Amino acid sequence: MNGRKKKITLAKKHNLTGWAFLVPATLLIVVMSFLPMIKAFVLSLKTGIGVTMKWAGFLNYIRMFKDTVFMQALKNNFIYLIIQVPIMLILALILASMLNNKDLKFKGFFRTAIFLPCATSLVSYAIIFRSLFAVDGLVNTILIKFGFLHTGYNFLGHATSARIIIIIALIWRWTGYNMVFYLSGLQNIDYSVYEAAKIDGASPFQTFWKITAPLLKPTILLTTIMSTNGTLQLFDESVNLTNGGPANATITMSHYIYNTSFKYVPNFGYSAAMSYLILILVAVLAFVQMRVGDKRD
Amino acid sequence: MKKKLLCAVLTVAMVSSMLAGCGSTNKTESTDTSKSTEAEGSSADNNTLTVWCWDPAFNMNAMEKAEAIYQKENPDFKLNIVETPWEDVQTKLTTAATSGQLDTLPDILLMQDNAFQKNVISYPDAFTDLTGSAVDYTQFAEGKTGFSTVDGKNYGVPFDNGAVIACYRTDILEQAGYSIDDFTDITFSDYLEKGKVVLEKTGKPLLSCIAGESDVIVMMLQSAGGSFFDESGKANIVNNDILKEVMTTYQKMVEAGVLVEVNDWDQYIATINNGTVASAVNGCWIMASVQGAQDQAGKWDITNMPRLDSAATATNYANQGGSSWAVTSNCKNVDLATDFLSKTFAGSTELYDQILETGAVATYLPAGDSDAYGKTNDFFSGKPVYSKIVEYAGKIPACGTGVYFYEARDAVATAITNIIGGSDINTELQTAEDTVNFTMGQ
Repeated sequence: MNGRKKKITLAKKHNLTGWAFLVPATLLIVVMSFLPMIKAFVLSLKTGIGVTMKWAGFLNYIRMFKDTVFMQALKNNFIYLIIQVPIMLILALILASMLNNKDLKFKGFFRTAIFLPCATSLVSYAIIFRSLFAVDGLVNTILIKFGFLHTGYNFLGHATSARIIIIIALIWRWTGYNMVFYLSGLQNIDYSVYEAAKIDGASPFQTFWKITAPLLKPTILLTTIMSTNGTLQLFDESVNLTNGGPANATITMSHYIYNTSFKYVPNFGYSAAMSYLILILVAVLAFVQMRVGDKRD
Repeated sequence: MKKKLLCAVLTVAMVSSMLAGCGSTNKTESTDTSKSTEAEGSSADNNTLTVWCWDPAFNMNAMEKAEAIYQKENPDFKLNIVETPWEDVQTKLTTAATSGQLDTLPDILLMQDNAFQKNVISYPDAFTDLTGSAVDYTQFAEGKTGFSTVDGKNYGVPFDNGAVIACYRTDILEQAGYSIDDFTDITFSDYLEKGKVVLEKTGKPLLSCIAGESDVIVMMLQSAGGSFFDESGKANIVNNDILKEVMTTYQKMVEAGVLVEVNDWDQYIATINNGTVASAVNGCWIMASVQGAQDQAGKWDITNMPRLDSAATATNYANQGGSSWAVTSNCKNVDLATDFLSKTFAGSTELYDQILETGAVATYLPAGDSDAYGKTNDFFSGKPVYSKIVEYAGKIPACGTGVYFYEARDAVATAITNIIGGSDINTELQTAEDTVNFTMGQ
């Protein structure tokens, strides 16, 4: 019994033990995650209605660039991305540095209050925003009371205002979430650095830009990538708040993918191809952000 | 060495427990599936049928009543009715059909009329052709059976009625000097002119609808037998004179303030129940919502919808919503299923009498002759509204929704939003047709 064991060297043995521990998790990830991804890619090379699919090569990928609705959805996604993400992250950063102040009273209360929107369900908050901005909703009632408007303005009925409302909703929902990341990042910055800055006569603004922002860079990078990813996959707000309207002005890519698989005559190949475009976009944007933001080498 | 041995033993224990875990999961899974086949899938035993439908107060109740009626002749017969919301029916059907696991489907399921053709064409293997079965299709209005007919084959048994009715607030009409008769058998231009008077004298618009949903447009279009598609199934939007008339009429009504657009269903119902608008034009199932405002009892009356002015085929009747029963290909006992449906939903006036009070107005034409349908409804000015609806239902012109109905509907909704915003009607219709053609050209 011992004779056979001796043939394996100690290093090899350790290696094998390591692999043995890795195998179960790896297998699960491969089966549960990678296999479906590969299958989805194969599916994206086919086309057809429902179950009757035939090979189409990369036709689906060419087709989506001729699809006016999908292009509109892509444009909408980038409008949200370019406007909403910077506003949200800057707001979260400001809130986090304010709440990090040692002398602030009721810190826990403010932190909870700002984080709380994150705990609400996506669908219910979207519906609440929809009724807030309805023609006879709270916002219009207030605006009429204070004499800004004579009759209710149909916020969700006009392209620009509907987009602004989605952006406001997103900021309300996700600022607190990002703030928590910044707060935890700020805890890691030694307070003595700030004391030193104070002694050197740095203004709060200077402290923020010269100390807080650079030291938080890894966290900022993380939140940027996560927000980009989340915005490109935006679904609930488009479906529940505006239903993509008016005239597809607020529809997102994921909403359109849902439509092409479940609402319309199902073309799963095309839907899978569009999902892959989102994956590619997220990957490319994350790569660019890493290149720009991560200067560790 | 001891430590190593312990490690090895623990590792073996962990791995084997995991394997055992997997193994037992498999076992429980298999028992689960066998259980769920009982609960969800079609029924194995010879006298039980499994049904999916979604509304306990409405279509589930109807199925229970149908079960009781059929049991009089067949005491052993049993139904297993599973509450499944429509969205879930659609998702489960999609999943079952695309994965080839058709044995997870029930024997009978209820399907929205608008989605019927799409599903039959996308998943031809999932449904049973009922043409030539015991179901007598001549007893239903053509406009209704058309929804569940694909290539001349019938795949569904019609259930609830979606005949369009126009409900008017008679007290508001009176203030403007009108009666319900002034709104019966009228054209849309009459409707618009009278609507302007009502708006001027009472400050209330006539009609409300949801922006971005083309329900009203589809009703207007179908009232003249129009469709978004021609007979060969090609998109017919730009050169569709009926549709063009519908779009301009709709636009005029919005511009005159006679038609107000709201953003969602709740707001739409609110405009009716709060007395913001003087009328509601929709499928007759809207009656349940109209009756939600009990303080308005006796102030409502029902008549037919306005018709288009210039279209030669224009009528005052259309269909909106409604659903039909489909028999899946997973049904082991097709004879029993068709016999059951033909003796209840396609053959029993007694059934339709029993479910009338829940708002389920029959599409089965003989049901309209029964006494229950002659009853009056005090909410609607004490008139015999049900017999009226059955009469309307018989006059609905047949019109194909086509497979790509939802695509066309959304494209036209986009067009009308832009037209009201000031775009040119021909360009917008061209865009809509291009969009529909694009989705069809896959």
